[in-house]
Amino acid sequence: MNIKEVAKKAGVSVATVSRVLNHPESVAPDTKQRILDVIQELEYTPNWFARGLNFNKTDTIGLLIPNILNPSYMEIAKGVEDVSHQKGCNTLLCNGENAVEKERKYVDVLVKRRVDGIVLVSSLLESEDVENITKQGIPVVLIGENRGDVRGVPIVRIDCEGASYKAVRHLIDIGYKDIAIIFGSTPEKENRRKLDGYRQALAEEGITEWEEYLQEAPNTIEGGYIAGKRLIDLKHRPRAIFTSSDLLAFGAIDAMKDHGVKVPDEVAFVGFDNIRMSNLIEPKLTTVEKPMHKMGVVGARLLFDIIDTKGDEIINREILLQSKLKIRKSCGHRERIGEIF
Amino acid sequence: MKTEFMGLKLKNPVVVAAGPWNRDGRSIRQGLAAGAGAVITETIVSDALIDVRPRIAYNGLGAQNIRLYSDIQVEGWQREMDIAKSKDGVVIASVSAHTPSELAYLAMKMEKFGADAIELGISSPMGESLEVVASDAERVFQMTREVVRSVKIPVMVKLSQNATNISKVAKAVKSAGGAGVSAINTVRCILGVDVETAEPTLSTYGGYSGAPIRPLGLASVATIAQTVDDIQICGIGGIEDYKNALEYIMLGASAVQVGTSVMINGFDRILEIVGDLEKWAEKKGIKEVKHIRGMALKNLKSFEEIKIEPVVSRIDNPVCHAECVACVKACIYGAIQKEGDKIILDTEKCTGCGLCTFVCPDKKFKLDW
Repeated sequence: MNIKEVAKKAGVSVATVSRVLNHPESVAPDTKQRILDVIQELEYTPNWFARGLNFNKTDTIGLLIPNILNPSYMEIAKGVEDVSHQKGCNTLLCNGENAVEKERKYVDVLVKRRVDGIVLVSSLLESEDVENITKQGIPVVLIGENRGDVRGVPIVRIDCEGASYKAVRHLIDIGYKDIAIIFGSTPEKENRRKLDGYRQALAEEGITEWEEYLQEAPNTIEGGYIAGKRLIDLKHRPRAIFTSSDLLAFGAIDAMKDHGVKVPDEVAFVGFDNIRMSNLIEPKLTTVEKPMHKMGVVGARLLFDIIDTKGDEIINREILLQSKLKIRKSCGHRERIGEIF
Repeated sequence: MKTEFMGLKLKNPVVVAAGPWNRDGRSIRQGLAAGAGAVITETIVSDALIDVRPRIAYNGLGAQNIRLYSDIQVEGWQREMDIAKSKDGVVIASVSAHTPSELAYLAMKMEKFGADAIELGISSPMGESLEVVASDAERVFQMTREVVRSVKIPVMVKLSQNATNISKVAKAVKSAGGAGVSAINTVRCILGVDVETAEPTLSTYGGYSGAPIRPLGLASVATIAQTVDDIQICGIGGIEDYKNALEYIMLGASAVQVGTSVMINGFDRILEIVGDLEKWAEKKGIKEVKHIRGMALKNLKSFEEIKIEPVVSRIDNPVCHAECVACVKACIYGAIQKEGDKIILDTEKCTGCGLCTFVCPDKKFKLDW
């Protein structure tokens, strides 16, 4: 069944049928109804790929995330999808698995499918990779920081350095000095910034930085476990640990439990992300709240701003969202008020 | 009684405040149809969240609410604004966010959807840190400036009584290019505790609104009017009738917002306030708000300026049949006694504090010398 047969049966031109499908408001009500009846009778479904060729629009966007198993990215994905769905668009989710080659391959597929735009979440792509996409007329929006410095595309991010500084500052303020950090090897740039924030807070207080207190690990629960184990085994064990993600904190706390180390009495924890589980584990995790869903929503919004206006506006906008320290029990702080506000 | 507020020509100074009673295009039209000079949308945020339940409590005097933000995403507000602006009427968009760039983006969107002005709702006492955003003049400056740079329509900032120095914040708004301020937002509160169950009325801190906060709002508006030159003020807090609206205007407001009263009484209350205000203005021959704006400010004095006259309490007729001893109880100086139906006033003991003139239900006392 194709559009020509619908046109023939309804006694109108192919162009009129097409108008009913794409701009129904421009067709006289009687004609429109007659054509819709025929469409129903013949059970005609438009060929969306062909439609994409005609309109230079496929009503599909691509979303590339670093790791599908990390809940923080799933919340971002949900935010993107919420807006995309409301815009009548489909979202193709690509799992980059923290591998730049896999990311490049996915981008290649998305470009070939002529998606209307691409959202890159804390991507490992280099600036040339991103330029290659935009050069082909496909808009890109970044959520979180890309490895390569990319100019000329909108970005939604948080201040990782400032947020980490505040988290470590909080540990210092409530009396800890021996503070270690477990930071994920990916996403690279953001975790470097978190490390900078940690260092800044220590330096400000004149606290010496110990090499063995800087633990780099894969950004997973397992990575956290191994790094946590290494810290337990140190001769001079830290009294507090800041982790660059909640997953790392979960793993490290698990290691503490396995080795009979009490949290927060012997080792206190502050995480990063505030994924749902951080409020459910015991002790409840003190963590930096990253507005993940909002990052997704705003990122998708910026992408559709470009798609809808064909790039006339908002090319180089940066939206910085606020992160916030959620003070719960794992840091050993007893004031409840920090949990409420 | 017309008014000009931030360059917007309003047919009267009564504005429906931001809140869930203005949650969509249809309800905004209701406020306008009731005669409001303008309507402010429910506060729009980047990421609409599911509302907690319950979230509003009322004790007959004032109301506590927990986070009343729009549950319609920005995309949906395009449709709602089309409805809101489908006929005449001024619609102001209330937006809230935590960083300048986020706030500016929301304001731009709402300008595009047809808003006539923007109100920055950055003074909510809920779900923020202990210190509300609007208590930090520098942060308010950064936020206002970025929004002002991003839109062409006028921008006002809703201020908070939770700030230590509200006029410093109002000055920051002005120097950032803001066209006006609205004062005051709700005040952080806990409405009460059930002593049998030890349960607070609502399960978290909230914002207090309604008549009990009106004296706070009046003081804030007067302070801003007396300290910040050429800033347009929209008075808000506990307005229940036309007299309350006039109180704010006489202390320096160009327009006023009504919120809790609409929440409790419906849009009829707008109709009432607007109607009564017109009648009052007509009787007085006043056509525009600017002719009475700030009239009461000249009567606000410093302690030094208050002339100490030897006034004491007086009564014309000491006979009082009421079974009431409010005056006796309230006289902390022991100057009032009651014997049978007779009030005995000792003017030697009276220090002229004035409290008896307020507590007597029959208004028998007056100060004189």
